[in-house]
Amino acid sequence: MYPRSMRDSDCIVVMGSNMAENHPVAFRWPMAAKVEHGAKIIHVDPRFTRTSAVADIYAPVRAGSDIAFLGGVINYVINHQRWQTDPFFKTWVGTYTNAATIIGDEYKDAEDNDGVFSGLMQHKAGVPEWPYNGFSSQYQNDSWQYARTRIGDQGRVASTAQSGETPAAKSGPEAEGGGGRTGPPFDALVHSLVKPRPQRDDTLQNPRCVFQIVKHHFSRYTPEMVERTTGCPRDTFLKVADTILANSGADRTTSFAYAVAWTQHTNGPQIIGCCALLQLLLGNFGRPGGGIMALRGHASIQGSTDVPTLYHSIHGYMAHPTALKKHETLADYLIAETVPTGYWGNMPKFMVSYLKSMYGDAATVENQFGYDWHPKILGDHSHMPMFVAMNEGKVKGMLCIGQNPATSLNAKLERAALQKLEWLVVKDNWLHETANFWKTSPEVQNGEVSAADIKTEVFFFPAAQVAETEGTFTNTQRMLQTHYKAADAPGDCRTDVWFTYQLGKRLKKLYADSQAPRDQGFKNTTFDYEHEDAKERAIGEPSAIKLLKEMNGYQTADPARHLAGFGELKDDGSTTCASWIYSGVFPAPNRNLAASKEPDPPGQPGAHLKWGFAWPANRRLMYNRASADPSGKPWSERKKWIWWDGSKWTGYDVPDFALTKAPDAQAKPDGIALDALSGTDAFIMKGDGVAWLYVPTGLVDGPLPTQYEAAESPVRNPLYKQQSSPVFKYWQKDGNALAGVGDAQFPYVITTYRLTEHYLSGAMSRWLPTLAELMPELFIEISPELAQEKGIDNLDWVRVATPRGQIRAKALVTRRLRPLQIDGRTLHQVGMPWHWGYEGVVRGDVVNELTALVGDPNVSIHEGKAFVCNIEKA
Amino acid sequence: MAEPMGFYTDTTVCIGCKACEVACKEWNQLPAANGGANTMSGDSYDNTRRLDGIHWRHVKFVEQFSETRQDGRWLLMSDVCKHCVQAGCLEVCPTGAIIRTEFDTVVIQSNTCNGCRDCIAACPFGVIDINPVSGTAQKCTLCYDRLQNGLEPACSKACPTDSIQFGTISELRARAQKRVEQLHQAGESRAYLYGADEKMLGGLNSFYLLVDRPEVYGLPPDPKLPSRHLQSGSVLTVLGALMVGLAGVFSFRSRTSEEVRP
Amino acid sequence: MIDAPSSTWFTAGPHWHWLIVLYFFVGGLAGGCYFIAALIDILGRAEDRPIARLGYYVAFPAVALSGLLLTLDLSRPLRFWHMLIERNTFAPMLKPWSPMSLGSWALLVFGLFSFISFLGALAEDERVRRPMLRRAQWSAFRAVRPPSPLGTIVAVLGGIAGMFVAGYTGVLLAVTNRPIWSDTPLLGMLFIVSAASTSAALLMLLAGRYGWEGSPGVAALQRMDGIVLALELVVLIAVMVSLGPALRGWLNVWGLVLLIGVIVPGVIVPLVLGWRHRGRRAAAFALLPVLVLVGGFLLRVVVIFSSESI
Ligand SMILES: Nc1nc2c(c(=O)[nH]1)N[C@H]1C(S)=C(S)[C@@H](COP(=O)(O)OP(=O)(O)OC[C@H]3O[C@@H](n4cnc5c(=O)[nH]c(N)nc54)[C@H](O)[C@@H]3O)O[C@H]1N2
Ligand SMILES: Nc1nc2c(c(=O)[nH]1)N[C@H]1C(S)=C(S)[C@@H](COP(=O)(O)OP(=O)(O)OC[C@H]3O[C@@H](n4cnc5c(=O)[nH]c(N)nc54)[C@H](O)[C@@H]3O)O[C@H]1N2
Ligand code: SF4
Ligand code: SF4
Ligand code: SF4
Ligand code: SF4
Ligand code: SF4
Ligand SMILES: [Mo]
Repeated sequence: MYPRSMRDSDCIVVMGSNMAENHPVAFRWPMAAKVEHGAKIIHVDPRFTRTSAVADIYAPVRAGSDIAFLGGVINYVINHQRWQTDPFFKTWVGTYTNAATIIGDEYKDAEDNDGVFSGLMQHKAGVPEWPYNGFSSQYQNDSWQYARTRIGDQGRVASTAQSGETPAAKSGPEAEGGGGRTGPPFDALVHSLVKPRPQRDDTLQNPRCVFQIVKHHFSRYTPEMVERTTGCPRDTFLKVADTILANSGADRTTSFAYAVAWTQHTNGPQIIGCCALLQLLLGNFGRPGGGIMALRGHASIQGSTDVPTLYHSIHGYMAHPTALKKHETLADYLIAETVPTGYWGNMPKFMVSYLKSMYGDAATVENQFGYDWHPKILGDHSHMPMFVAMNEGKVKGMLCIGQNPATSLNAKLERAALQKLEWLVVKDNWLHETANFWKTSPEVQNGEVSAADIKTEVFFFPAAQVAETEGTFTNTQRMLQTHYKAADAPGDCRTDVWFTYQLGKRLKKLYADSQAPRDQGFKNTTFDYEHEDAKERAIGEPSAIKLLKEMNGYQTADPARHLAGFGELKDDGSTTCASWIYSGVFPAPNRNLAASKEPDPPGQPGAHLKWGFAWPANRRLMYNRASADPSGKPWSERKKWIWWDGSKWTGYDVPDFALTKAPDAQAKPDGIALDALSGTDAFIMKGDGVAWLYVPTGLVDGPLPTQYEAAESPVRNPLYKQQSSPVFKYWQKDGNALAGVGDAQFPYVITTYRLTEHYLSGAMSRWLPTLAELMPELFIEISPELAQEKGIDNLDWVRVATPRGQIRAKALVTRRLRPLQIDGRTLHQVGMPWHWGYEGVVRGDVVNELTALVGDPNVSIHEGKAFVCNIEKA
Repeated sequence: MAEPMGFYTDTTVCIGCKACEVACKEWNQLPAANGGANTMSGDSYDNTRRLDGIHWRHVKFVEQFSETRQDGRWLLMSDVCKHCVQAGCLEVCPTGAIIRTEFDTVVIQSNTCNGCRDCIAACPFGVIDINPVSGTAQKCTLCYDRLQNGLEPACSKACPTDSIQFGTISELRARAQKRVEQLHQAGESRAYLYGADEKMLGGLNSFYLLVDRPEVYGLPPDPKLPSRHLQSGSVLTVLGALMVGLAGVFSFRSRTSEEVRP
Repeated sequence: MIDAPSSTWFTAGPHWHWLIVLYFFVGGLAGGCYFIAALIDILGRAEDRPIARLGYYVAFPAVALSGLLLTLDLSRPLRFWHMLIERNTFAPMLKPWSPMSLGSWALLVFGLFSFISFLGALAEDERVRRPMLRRAQWSAFRAVRPPSPLGTIVAVLGGIAGMFVAGYTGVLLAVTNRPIWSDTPLLGMLFIVSAASTSAALLMLLAGRYGWEGSPGVAALQRMDGIVLALELVVLIAVMVSLGPALRGWLNVWGLVLLIGVIVPGVIVPLVLGWRHRGRRAAAFALLPVLVLVGGFLLRVVVIFSSESI
């Protein structure tokens, strides 16, 4: 969903985020819902924050216990009289989710297997060149699959398996060579991937159906168990669960908002999945005011995953070609990655158009559109493994553009990695901690390392600021908005796109005469975005509008003919399109929809379709077919959004459905792509057209969310024998030790977070006096109870220690923190904002000296939200 | 005169983000305390502590938690000059630096103020202080420069949750009254308006919706005009002078009579 | 703050510190001394005139110093004239309802009177040399002192202006919203009484320096001081009563200073000793006025700083 839609919510649960503090502008919508129609706001957080301050209910929890809490709500909902009797829930869940789908007999649920799923085994994939993936165990997911006549997975192993680990062994067509066809059109190839329909039980009674498995899985997540595990008082929990249920149904919707307090865990995606499961049970998807609001971190972080800076995917969420899967040829790649049914069945069109954009005229049918030139990944190349590799001398140089890793996770280890580099390019607005790591870092200051011994050559490039750059932003609503340059950057400051463009051009020149096969990619890459404006061209700035056109796509034969949308894409090379999801933003040379700025008239329920352009196809609420009942009528007048008018889908938004496919249309038995879906299959990106309560493929750590403890926890998992995720990533290294379960040396739970007043590592706020004065010093929030136990007064200096490091901070003693009763004993939590460093107008210790390189197996995000520490008065 | 303009601040939707505080500083080019190298106050999330010559907006943080945390509130409120209809500061200013504008707002003319600081002591809300850069008394101008150019004040413009609302006083009062009723209906019986009617200093052109006693927010429960003591103080002083005069007359007179005695 | 005794607790201090304390003290002396001098001029005998001259000698420099102190205390001292002339229109700037505005004019007016009387005193004083004027011209200045009709007018008007300067400061404090200051309407009265007691004490002290201790004029001053000190004690008690709950502002170190720095040594001790040693050349003759002066100074310190520290 998107923030503005929260204005339509009747209940808003902020959990896994401190939305008011970190997303204050988006938070205007929950506040509007509160003032305009008395929407209930719930905040579930270890600390009472500024979000809690304006919430109707605040529920305290132990950091790292969200699945227990959400699982508790799921259990509450499933067993609630109203949920069982209100026809809305039954119909919505039965029609729009995979609740009725039968799971294969081999599947063993964590509930019946001491907390692990069937298929757990020693880690075995990976290539010798890249031993940094951080796995020790992994799941074989064959047994998690839908029951079909033939066993197999859903085709594409979703790109969430970021490290490109080998998926479940394949059976079926891929073994047979994709029906023999390797060139366009790829329809036959896609057809060959289609599997028999999974078995269903529409009564939801079959014990192997998803609904019964889910029900069984969460049966022990009772209010008592929630209290024992999370520390949230039973009454508060029940009030939350009741409010959520009471505000869901045909006439009401509840939304959730989360950010990194759900992601930064060793099972982050599972927490989010757990919320999705709950919201699906409540029918809160695709409907106004319903859904899950993933609050993105930066102004264009959405854009940076769409046109990715991610290593594991290419534009438009296609998997990055990898050396770890059978991706040898384009056909191999398409066989491995195409989900034949649902909209992803069109993937060959996206991929071929992408390759045409990469290699232009050089990409032909004969050379598989240049697929061989495309780089492949070797494993997990995300932040943590890269720094581990760097720490081991495997990485020679680094371009650090808009990042401050010297203050990042296990900061000392990361700085030690920087010391091993031959060269480091920092392109930033400030000489921040990373730029000056060789001079002012704690280890240099205290003599542990001598600056003279650091051989890294550091280059500093002054960066232009955002207002000195033109282009588009893609916001948290997936909306592209053009922004214009307000001023020229001073002196030698250049935009990042300038840097990338110039670097690319220079590399192309460097390789121009090379005959080495590995350099052919560089030679053939199209890279021609000369600016229209002479002044900009003179300094070498590329044209933002040409880049946008490349994303949008055009007819290869006539680049002046822009594509009107991804529906026009072809898999034969006749269309060129860098990012299929962005297709349609720039449908004609004089129509840049990202620059449109026409709001709907006030007081109308519209989606403001003429303001910016939201991918895909300018629809604002995804899966909005689900806002109508199976027969196409709105569920209620209050919550109407998209409906069937007898001949087509219409409403306030762009329908996320085939426009003229009637509600009673049947799926074509042998169809591919959308033909394989029926008139009620609202979730068109899914192979089976329904949303997944149970996730048979795409996640490497289990098909259902399960309460695991954080990698470091003072408590034994109250629910299962299995303590933590069996497959989390951990890099065993000196200086990266983890405390054992319940280690008495580190008795407190610590979490790290942000303040409204600062931005991330502080490089964008600690240099600004008007922000620095608001929060000048690093502090640690402690409850008065713990402070008294430790003899600490407000504003005292406190030493905070973890197995990785020690830092100092001032105490902020506050009742906003509270001791929790966990499993019958008192547990203290402390919290630290992590915005400080050793450079800037105001300085303080780096909180990430405390954190470990340990993370989630799906997306390799670190666990910064729950670990253990000790505190002493300094 | 244009219609009276001002602020209605609904503290129940304030998220304490301080965007108003910073927006004010940016627009008015106010410096930071000690170049930004401030120290922590230890008082909740408030480190700028008060309204003064370089903080024309200030967000207050009041933590109210019982020991068991059964009850817990964190009251947030963005404070500013109240642009009193009867303004104490304006009343006392000896240089005429403080004026009432066509928007019924109260503005200090920096070119006129000589820094006598009488207005600081006169303001019932502790709003004014000297700006160390200009050496003059300063406070919120209700963005007089922006208003004159048809723009909304910087702070309310920046407020993401519409906690600060700008408009004509009559419209704001109506809106605020509706919100109070809504809150009462929703069971928040403590909600009330502070300064929204003539009873308080003729009306505050920046008034508040609060959910606890004014003192809790650092607001005077009973703000008054400084001139309340002008008459009584003067009369009593004259009386004092007369007594001193009499004492003098008596002393020197009686001496005369003493001297006369043989 | 939440259980603040008065709404004045929610206001901000104007940073009126030592310069203002000094001004209040010196201004009080200027006004008080002039007033006493005028009183002597009008009511007293010829042999008392040296004491009156002393008063004028104190008044003018003291009022000049007052102006200086006030100007220095401004954050923008060069703009002192904005008090009298509106900066944008250059029209006279007077707000009769603002004690500070009126006080500024009063200082100007009183400054003029005290200057004239100062010249008059100089002219009368044979010991002063006359650099610029011929003797006859110089003596013409005697006419600005009583008993001449002009002199009487000057003395009366100047005396009133003096009393105004001595007392308006208390009204100025009352016409604010600060704790203590504006929690009682009696500070003007207190200041004016204290100005009289300190002025009398100062004149006694100076008279002592010239060896006039036994003179009847000094005895009259002593008597006057006694009465005024008694008045001051009464007014002080009245102030405390009128403060009501705001008296809490003195339940601290400032209250202690008030008690052991002002009330006891500065009021009660001189009152009692002065009464016991009335008319006699007590060894404590020099000590008592000093106590009164120190007490008067500390009174202003307490009044100012006790409020500023809230
Ligand atoms: N002002 C400001 N805004 C920002 C940023 C900033 O630095 N400053 N950063 C931006 C970026 S990059 C991001 S990613 C987002 C992040 O946005 P958020 O996720 O909202 O940010 P955090 O403050 O890291 O964490 C939010 C809350 O999680 C709580 N928490 C910790 N552990 C747990 C847990 O296990 N469960 C639950 N339920 N809560 C927990 C913390 O107490 C904290 O209040 O913010 C963006 N917005
Ligand atoms: N313990 C703990 N650690 C965390 C987190 C946590 O919650 N807890 N949160 C994590 C999260 S969600 C994030 S997103 C990361 C962020 O971590 P980083 O990305 O390392 O930190 P930033 O401070 O955002 O660094 C951005 C840099 O970009 C510069 N910059 C700004 N604009 C431009 C520009 O236009 N061009 C260029 N070249 N530079 C520019 C800024 O000056 C700044 O130095 O931190 C992570 N680390
Ligand atoms: S910093 Fe930017 S992205 Fe974040 S809330 Fe403010 S306006 Fe939105
Ligand atoms: S709040 Fe104070 S500064 Fe503002 S107008 Fe009223 S008296 Fe003047
Ligand atoms: S400080 Fe300036 S504005 Fe305030 S009263 Fe004095 S002259 Fe007027
Ligand atoms: S109205 Fe203008 S001057 Fe007043 S607080 Fe808001 S931004 Fe500052
Ligand atoms: S900008 Fe609005 S929400 Fe933020 S602190 Fe100010 S008044 Fe509160
Ligand atoms: Mo982030």
